[in-house]
Amino acid sequence: MSLRIGIREGMRTISRNNSLFFLSLFVVAISLFLLSLFALVTANLYSFVKILNDKIEIIAFLDEHTNVEVLKSNILKISGVTNVIYISPEQALKDLKSELEETQEVLTVFENNPLPASLRIKLHEKYKNVGGLEEISSKILLLRGVRETIYGGELVDELKKITNIITIFDIGLLLIIILSVIFVIFQTIKLTIFARSTEIEIMKLVGASNSFIAIPFTFEGLVQGMIGGLIAFALTVITVQVAISFFSNVYFPRWWFLLISVASGVLFGIIGSSVALRRFLK
Amino acid sequence: MRYWRELYTSVFTNREHLILDRIRILIIIILMITFDGVNKVYQKDWLALQDITFNINKGEFVFICGPTGAGKSTILKLIYKGEEPTSGSINVLDQDLSLLKKNGIPKLRRKIGIIFQDFKLLQDRTLEENVAFALEVTNTPPRNLRKKLMETLTYLHLSHKKFSYPYQLSGGEQQKVAIARALVRDPYILLADEPTGNLDAKSSQDIINILLDINYKGTTVVMATHNLSLVKKVKKRMLRLVGGKFVTEK
Repeated sequence: MSLRIGIREGMRTISRNNSLFFLSLFVVAISLFLLSLFALVTANLYSFVKILNDKIEIIAFLDEHTNVEVLKSNILKISGVTNVIYISPEQALKDLKSELEETQEVLTVFENNPLPASLRIKLHEKYKNVGGLEEISSKILLLRGVRETIYGGELVDELKKITNIITIFDIGLLLIIILSVIFVIFQTIKLTIFARSTEIEIMKLVGASNSFIAIPFTFEGLVQGMIGGLIAFALTVITVQVAISFFSNVYFPRWWFLLISVASGVLFGIIGSSVALRRFLK
Repeated sequence: MRYWRELYTSVFTNREHLILDRIRILIIIILMITFDGVNKVYQKDWLALQDITFNINKGEFVFICGPTGAGKSTILKLIYKGEEPTSGSINVLDQDLSLLKKNGIPKLRRKIGIIFQDFKLLQDRTLEENVAFALEVTNTPPRNLRKKLMETLTYLHLSHKKFSYPYQLSGGEQQKVAIARALVRDPYILLADEPTGNLDAKSSQDIINILLDINYKGTTVVMATHNLSLVKKVKKRMLRLVGGKFVTEK
């Protein structure tokens, strides 16, 4: 019963005090958009680092007429190797063709397929550094049928160092942004509630219980957070569309972004209004 | 034999309880507000009230008079527990206010109507909504709410303006709305804090007449004012405050 009246009261204030409501809705939406934008950058950074990390592997070129199955099982026995993928000369040629789309005529020079068969060797996370790569590569070279191995070498360590620094920097910045967004949202909600302190005082004088006073305000905070989250999500989708035209490949887990921006909006809205109300309901 | 004796004592003590209860109920009915040696010190050692002791009985109309800053409003605030006394005890409607917990305050205020100099109406609601609000707070069923609302608005001659907003009403009318809001729940006590402070002479007289009529119907009225000429015309009990102390009681 009082919940129904509380929600009705909340709806009433939304429709009548709309300038104040829209002001804080605007602030909530923009703050959450800023947060989503930075989360988008972070997500893409991580996905890029992951792709780079997946590309750290050893490629072993094979002699002709090598028994691939035996070699494969021997390589898999080396500790640190997680997977071995066989690439036939035909497959290698196909890959090359697709990579050299514009200069395919180069390949017409060759009558036969000049590419050797190869094995792509995936490694355990622990071995994805110069030491690990050298150690495994030297073991593979000892096996019969392996002509040559290639791997990133020192570049891998440099890359890891750079990505680590960027990641730490990014997380630090993300934390700062999260804290400032919370601060801005809380302060805005607090201001809108303070602007209505006489209303709260009157409610208390006519004998409204604390929950009766709190429900409309909390409901407003909830609606504000939810709509703010939806607006932030819409803005993020537009940004991603624009970004795709520049970067072709943007990592954007759509539903996660929707869920998180709406959920955080609702959470910040409810907590923000409850915290601001606490001062009045002592 | 022993059984009969026990039965007799139990009946007797029960009856004694019954009599005591009756006496207690009688006291509640008679005594509405009791202040006993109440002191109130605001921050920075400002003594707002000093050793205030008085009783207000059911059906009384009491003026609390005194110049600005004498402590009139403080007394009213202490009655509805808007403030806590620094020392002394206050009893309102048989409730020791020092024992009243925070969540009990709304219940106390539902039995007390309060009106102010500045009316304290919700500006974004119509006259009717302002009055109905006092009933919604207590989850009054809609049918009772309509009935009570109609009664009160008719009594105060406000029915024709029920869709007006406070800013569309004169000061006297706004104060009537505030009275309607206080009255709609049939309070035991009506507290009025300078209710005529913002009104002209005619509207002031109207408001006083309404308060007198409400009192005539049985509600205890406590009115704080600095307007002595108004008080003298009405000839009701007066508690006179100067600098936080009672001067005379007439």
